[in-house]
Amino acid sequence: MDETALIHSAQNGDLDSFNTLILRYQDSVFHTALRIIGDEDLAQDAAQEAFISAFRSISTFRGGSFKAWLMRMVTNACYDEFRRQKRRPTTPLEPETSDGEEMDSPRWLADPNMTPAEKSEADELEHAIQHCLDALPTEFRAVVVLADIQGMDYSEVATAAHVPLGTIKSRLARARLRLRECLRGFEELLPSSFRLEGERN
Amino acid sequence: MKNFRDIEQLSAYLDGQLSPSDSARLESRISSDPELDSVLSDLRAARGILRKLPARKAPRNFTLTRKMVGLKPPLPRTFSFFRFSTAFAAVMLMLTFAANSLLPRISFGAAAPMAAQESLGVGGGCTSGCGGGGAPDALAATEAPVATEAPLVVESPAATEAPVVGLAPLATEVPPSASENTSRVAVTPTAEMSVAKEPEIMPVPQDQPQGQSEAVIPSAWQIGLLVIVLLGALIMFVLRQSAMRKWK
Repeated sequence: MDETALIHSAQNGDLDSFNTLILRYQDSVFHTALRIIGDEDLAQDAAQEAFISAFRSISTFRGGSFKAWLMRMVTNACYDEFRRQKRRPTTPLEPETSDGEEMDSPRWLADPNMTPAEKSEADELEHAIQHCLDALPTEFRAVVVLADIQGMDYSEVATAAHVPLGTIKSRLARARLRLRECLRGFEELLPSSFRLEGERN
Repeated sequence: MKNFRDIEQLSAYLDGQLSPSDSARLESRISSDPELDSVLSDLRAARGILRKLPARKAPRNFTLTRKMVGLKPPLPRTFSFFRFSTAFAAVMLMLTFAANSLLPRISFGAAAPMAAQESLGVGGGCTSGCGGGGAPDALAATEAPVATEAPLVVESPAATEAPVVGLAPLATEVPPSASENTSRVAVTPTAEMSVAKEPEIMPVPQDQPQGQSEAVIPSAWQIGLLVIVLLGALIMFVLRQSAMRKWK
């Protein structure tokens, strides 16, 4: 069954069709939520909320890119999660990795002025990138995640972020600029092919 | 460091979002400006690093259940008919209870002043013998509130018996003059009225319980409505259960 038929069935209230669509997109939805929020549990909550909202408002989908429309739900769910966090901020006393082990250098302890020894503790490139993403303003983060991590084109990002195309261009440029500055602090973690030009100079 | 306009152009150029003419112009600038080329390389590297991020798979399925989205089973069309008729019968049943409890009180409240006026007219003795024209009628009207208190006087035997003896001669003294009669009535109206209307007032308290016991809406109607309500509720319950069973 193709995507259009599944969407049409879901618009008529067929939950099974919508669940088929969920299975197709759940990885990218979760990944987007994870990169925007930076916390796996909260990202799961946001992804679930996004799918519930999507089913409830699927009648408003008027064609176009379904992925972009779905990503709009995800970014909205992430913004809601941020607002919730602002109202009731929680910080774990002993932050753990996804494996349940205590984190040596949790992201919330990361500092732009970290010493080289602390930097070396940031053992994964992923953590470094996530740290830089977390440092971005939320609206910049959403744009850069959708464009550069999800590989969506500008018009899809504009649909998902619900902002004009010109704003997408501007936010993406600013986000890349800030990421470039931030990633310079993790130069030794980066693969040689991705070493930043400015650092070499 | 280049200005932000240049960086925005370079970022859009990286994504192929510039028009061919803009792209050509920028390319010529990049080839002649090493700093611009350096920024472009940095932006390309930053974008490449992000794209290199390993895609994380969903740790669980996010498929939805009917409960999660609040879906309800599709009910048969007859369900709405039963729902409407049951609700209508329930409202009517409540109205019958309200009518049966409120209407007798309202009718009794309206009948009491009329009874009092009637009793005052008789007690004043002006209907035939007073000869005062309109004056006694007006007096009766002004004294109506007192007349409503008459049953209190009637209830105590000591109070009623004493004036009866004392006022009997007064009633016989009425003929001498109309003006005297009216003045006496004005001085001691309650005593005279209590005596004169005694036989008329007594039925009023006897009528009150009869009025309350008489239902405006027959109880057979209420029972019928109650049966409709109960049956409707039962049928709706059965329909809902069967719809749920089919849905599962």
